[in-house]
Amino acid sequence: MDLMKILLVTILVNNIILMRFIALCSYIGMTNDVGQSIGMGFAVTFVTVMATAATWPLYHFVLVPLHLEFLQILVFILVIASLVQLVEFYLKKNIPGLYAAMGIYLPLITTNCAILAVTFENISYSYNFIQSIVYAIGVSAGYLLAMILLAGVRSRMKTSPVPKFLQGTPILFIATSLIGMAFMGFAGLIK
Amino acid sequence: MKGNLKLGIVLAVFAAVGCASLAVVYSITESAIAAQSQKALSASLQEIFPDAVSSEDISSTVSSNVAGIKFEQAFLVKSALAPLGVAIKAQGSSYGGPARLLVGMSLNRSIAGVRVLELNDTAGLGANAKNPGYFVNKADKITFPGQFAGKFITDPFEVKKDVAAITASTITSKALTGIIKASAEAAALWLENSTLAGGK
Amino acid sequence: MKSLWKVFKQGIIYENPLLMLMIGLCSALAVTSNVSNGIGMGLAMTFVLLFSEIFISLFRKAIPSSVRMPIFLIIIGAFTTIVDLVMKAYFPELSKSMGVFIPLIVVNCIIMGRVEAFAYKQKVMPAIFDSFGMGLGYTWVLVGIAAFREILGNGTFAGLQVMPQSYQPILFFILPPGGFLVFGLFISLNIWMKGRMQKSAAAKESA
Repeated sequence: MDLMKILLVTILVNNIILMRFIALCSYIGMTNDVGQSIGMGFAVTFVTVMATAATWPLYHFVLVPLHLEFLQILVFILVIASLVQLVEFYLKKNIPGLYAAMGIYLPLITTNCAILAVTFENISYSYNFIQSIVYAIGVSAGYLLAMILLAGVRSRMKTSPVPKFLQGTPILFIATSLIGMAFMGFAGLIK
Repeated sequence: MKGNLKLGIVLAVFAAVGCASLAVVYSITESAIAAQSQKALSASLQEIFPDAVSSEDISSTVSSNVAGIKFEQAFLVKSALAPLGVAIKAQGSSYGGPARLLVGMSLNRSIAGVRVLELNDTAGLGANAKNPGYFVNKADKITFPGQFAGKFITDPFEVKKDVAAITASTITSKALTGIIKASAEAAALWLENSTLAGGK
Repeated sequence: MKSLWKVFKQGIIYENPLLMLMIGLCSALAVTSNVSNGIGMGLAMTFVLLFSEIFISLFRKAIPSSVRMPIFLIIIGAFTTIVDLVMKAYFPELSKSMGVFIPLIVVNCIIMGRVEAFAYKQKVMPAIFDSFGMGLGYTWVLVGIAAFREILGNGTFAGLQVMPQSYQPILFFILPPGGFLVFGLFISLNIWMKGRMQKSAAAKESA
């Protein structure tokens, strides 16, 4: 699939959070302010791209030739977990500034559905290596976009009157529903 | 260091046991999994060619020269008396991911039938290509893949011209039409180059 | 026995993983566009949760704290793979329809959360009751949302036509924004139910 098309589809047309419901835990938990969303979004992008770079070759050059495809779930999740640990150690030791900004999100990322989903889909969509990396970037960008949007909406909502029975998380989901409806308008973007 | 070694060993033991148990489960389910996909394929082949009795795998002689569309398998379908046509299992990308179709071509260069094997598009929209209750032609009760039966490869295969689209799902309609067109052309070419169909 | 029963009940309303604890959301909304998927996911998740909690509780003394995360992942991953293989072998339609969400069970926050907070520190029996309670709490919400979305959005329940033929399905409910809306309303409903139960419990105490 054309690389530009992959980017457009993953960021707007088929946004991972708004249209596919993936990565909701972090969406609700980490959009308390725009800065937090951006930090989380970048951390996710970083880990997803690296996870793709690690899992794609591992699947195609190790699991498939050895007929060990059934170990995909185990292998992928352990690779992602290890990657996150390594990144955390490296940042803490060598780039303390970046660690201070982004490091706290890293332990949360291991169970982020989006990362595992992307690594799996790179395989099931039969993408080649370049397409997989582009897909990883696109999905993460879509994730970042949705997170920033909700963080913005949440900060506005702090000063608006919300009916009592909708206060707290219910109104967040309804707001997401509305944002999602707007995004559905992008469906016609691809010719 | 010794503490770390012990941790490493514990980890390795758990990992080994985990992988071993999975290997056991896999060996039990492996044949069932393979049988399932075979069953689905045979059922679809039978629907497209009702008189089919056997099929010969010709996958190595059929390949796609259209970017993004892959032919995973190809069969020469035969009845008890004579060959009926060629069926190609093609994969291409649609709105929500890969789509897999089975396209059957009769000896007279018209499409015998199309079946959607796998589709991941939006429920209620693109996914209706796979929905047996969704009709692009309500009067005659024709489904999206159903409209291709009897179509000649000389037709333009253009959505909104000779191909009816699924409401509000132009991307899906175009993607699937492209896959069907490429498969039909490849199948027809194979038939022409073979000594069947009273050709050469 | 009474405390085991209490452990079981917690997961159904008071500490409902989806509606109160807000964990395990990803798979929840995506598979609730129809009831069959909802039930399938509920059962699959409960299976993985049950066996993960059992095994981790059984081996809790043998799992060193510093490497517990990878070991949890191995155990949960193994059971998720078993569910995946069994579904591919005996329920292929359901497996294809749920797609990537079956492998995603391994990162389902509910399982990770319960295993860390409960199974790692408790004996096997409480762990079993906890997993059933959480599993049931998860499944009833899934089926509830799925029923709502499927009946209103498609006129069917688990594929069977339940609305009259003249009913025009409201496609919105099957689409993602509809899912978010229905979920928001369910959370609201659960908060209300919890409030009512707390009030009646307080009233009983003071009576």
